Amino acid sequence: MDFLSPVIAGFGVVFQPENLFYCLLGVTLGMLIGVLPGLGPAATIAVLLPITYNIEPTAAIIMLAGIFYGAQYGGTITSVLLRLPGEASSVVTAIDGHALARQGRAGSALGIAAIGSFIGGTVAIIGLTFVAPLVAGFALDFGPSEYTALALLGILLITTLGTGSPLKSILMATVGLLLATIGQDPLEGVSRLTFGVDQLLDGIDFVIVAMGLFGVGEILYNLESLRKPAEPAAAVGSVYPSRAELRESKGAITRGSVLGFLLGILPGGGATMSSMVAYAVEKRASKQPEKFGKGAIQGVAGPETANNAAATSSFIPLLTLGIPANATMAIMFGALLIQGITPGPALVAEKPDLFWGVVNSMYVGNLLLLAMSMPLIGVFVRILRVRQAILAPLTILVTMIGVYTVRMSVFDMFIMVGLGVVGYLMKKAGFEPGPLVLAFVLGGLLESSFRRSMRIFGGDVTGFLTQPITATLLAVIVLIVVVPPVLRLSKRKRQRQEENVAA
Amino acid sequence: MSYERRLNVVAALVPLVIGVAAAIMSWNLGVGSLSAPGPGMWPLVVSVAMVITAAVLVLQSRPRGDEERFTKDVVTVAIAAASLIGYAFLFELVGFEVPTIALLVLWLKGLGRESWPVTAVVSVVATAALYLLFITGLGVSLPHIIQL
Repeated sequence: MDFLSPVIAGFGVVFQPENLFYCLLGVTLGMLIGVLPGLGPAATIAVLLPITYNIEPTAAIIMLAGIFYGAQYGGTITSVLLRLPGEASSVVTAIDGHALARQGRAGSALGIAAIGSFIGGTVAIIGLTFVAPLVAGFALDFGPSEYTALALLGILLITTLGTGSPLKSILMATVGLLLATIGQDPLEGVSRLTFGVDQLLDGIDFVIVAMGLFGVGEILYNLESLRKPAEPAAAVGSVYPSRAELRESKGAITRGSVLGFLLGILPGGGATMSSMVAYAVEKRASKQPEKFGKGAIQGVAGPETANNAAATSSFIPLLTLGIPANATMAIMFGALLIQGITPGPALVAEKPDLFWGVVNSMYVGNLLLLAMSMPLIGVFVRILRVRQAILAPLTILVTMIGVYTVRMSVFDMFIMVGLGVVGYLMKKAGFEPGPLVLAFVLGGLLESSFRRSMRIFGGDVTGFLTQPITATLLAVIVLIVVVPPVLRLSKRKRQRQEENVAA
Repeated sequence: MSYERRLNVVAALVPLVIGVAAAIMSWNLGVGSLSAPGPGMWPLVVSVAMVITAAVLVLQSRPRGDEERFTKDVVTVAIAAASLIGYAFLFELVGFEVPTIALLVLWLKGLGRESWPVTAVVSVVATAALYLLFITGLGVSLPHIIQL
């Protein structure tokens, strides 16, 4: 079992006191921001990026990963108690979770969600352990043409599968790609679109884009509801579900684990989509679908298990291909780059300590989160009472000072505030920042691999089709672009025919 | 034309204009040929895609339900953004302590309508905590006037 020895060595990394501390810090922060409506995990990780500069790489990534999956646990609490999903991935949980809370069964809902999240997360880590090295091994031979197709696919999937209008998302992706071209040409060193500003020669730092659009943008947006009074939370009660409740949820947790793991791997998938699919699956699988929406425990167990499994498995494309599957992973990508680590197929082999240290830390993190969401739940429920008016200035100051520390530059502060205002306006007009940030991250890779491929193919665009893997990926892209509009058209046509028949 | 529709048209026109400008600038950078792409080719491809998408969005401007009206709350956001710009201006000039306290007081009292005791305590404690986090803890050399 040669393959398992680096995996086991990874546990040695996790149990170093420093790494354990950052794991605990990460999952606690994740729980907190999950509980507090307002900043999501993407924004929080963005805001904390500059602070990770000063931490050792493995510890930094362990902490940021903890924030991400910790937020999935915390988001459940506000969903169930207030019907206010802390995270997008807990939106469907609010439906049945809050119905249960009104019946005085909030504790059961939270308990089942915590157990489901723990099982889903653990199953996904085990899956990741076996799948990630396989994917990485397969991708080692990828050349520029494969990466062109892969990056394009990643961007397209997040725009079509994500929440919000696909057209608006595609527009945001092009804006992100354009922003990524600012600065020196990667191959020839010519300065592009810098308007003669020297500070822009190196391009706009990813950290500033992420902090501006996600961090400052979200804080400004939340200021609109600054003075709205907080709603009273439902009473929690016992968080230890009864045997009957556990038996009822067994199937939902099993299905949620598998579904979440699979959907999390897909680019553009991730926690939000898998929770929605899991809810739909549970409703269909149930013998009493009419109970859904009125307090079905499966409606909490399925989605909560799935979103946590997906949160974990979405690390696979990032760590093995260097392609982030969603906006949060895009920010994680930036965090790795800051530490001088380029995520890609070589990572497993070249940095086994980091790779397996981070993966195995998730077992510990999930265990800690289980403890926080069951025995310690009362502490986090009390945090719900902290006012937005106090939190907002504190977060903005950490963000402002944080961005300054990246390059000791006030110029970066101005750029970040500017991007924050843009992010606020985008939110008002219904544009998601996710596709923009993801495209910005992949922009450099996409351009340089496209140009290298064009040189290899001697300017012949059809050269992409001669590579089997590239051609397959491009075929998938065509399917994604063509199929949904055709389906929509035929549906509209059928509706019109039915209307004609009816008339 | 409804409010939402006008919002959508404006929101699509802005990237349309930026895209056209970027396309012209990219063209001037030199596009090169397909076998040897110049520095301007990729930005040109991207800005053309941006212009096309934005143009389609201008035409399909019907409300989609994800637009939000600008209410009088926008004043709060504008004041907040302006205060951040002011903060950045003062940051290197007078050190981080005074602007930090000032920003906290403005946001807590002015925007958040917190009571004076809460404002005072949170402002002072938060500034001290930020000092300890960044300067003492992380060893970052922020411009500051108080030496510990």
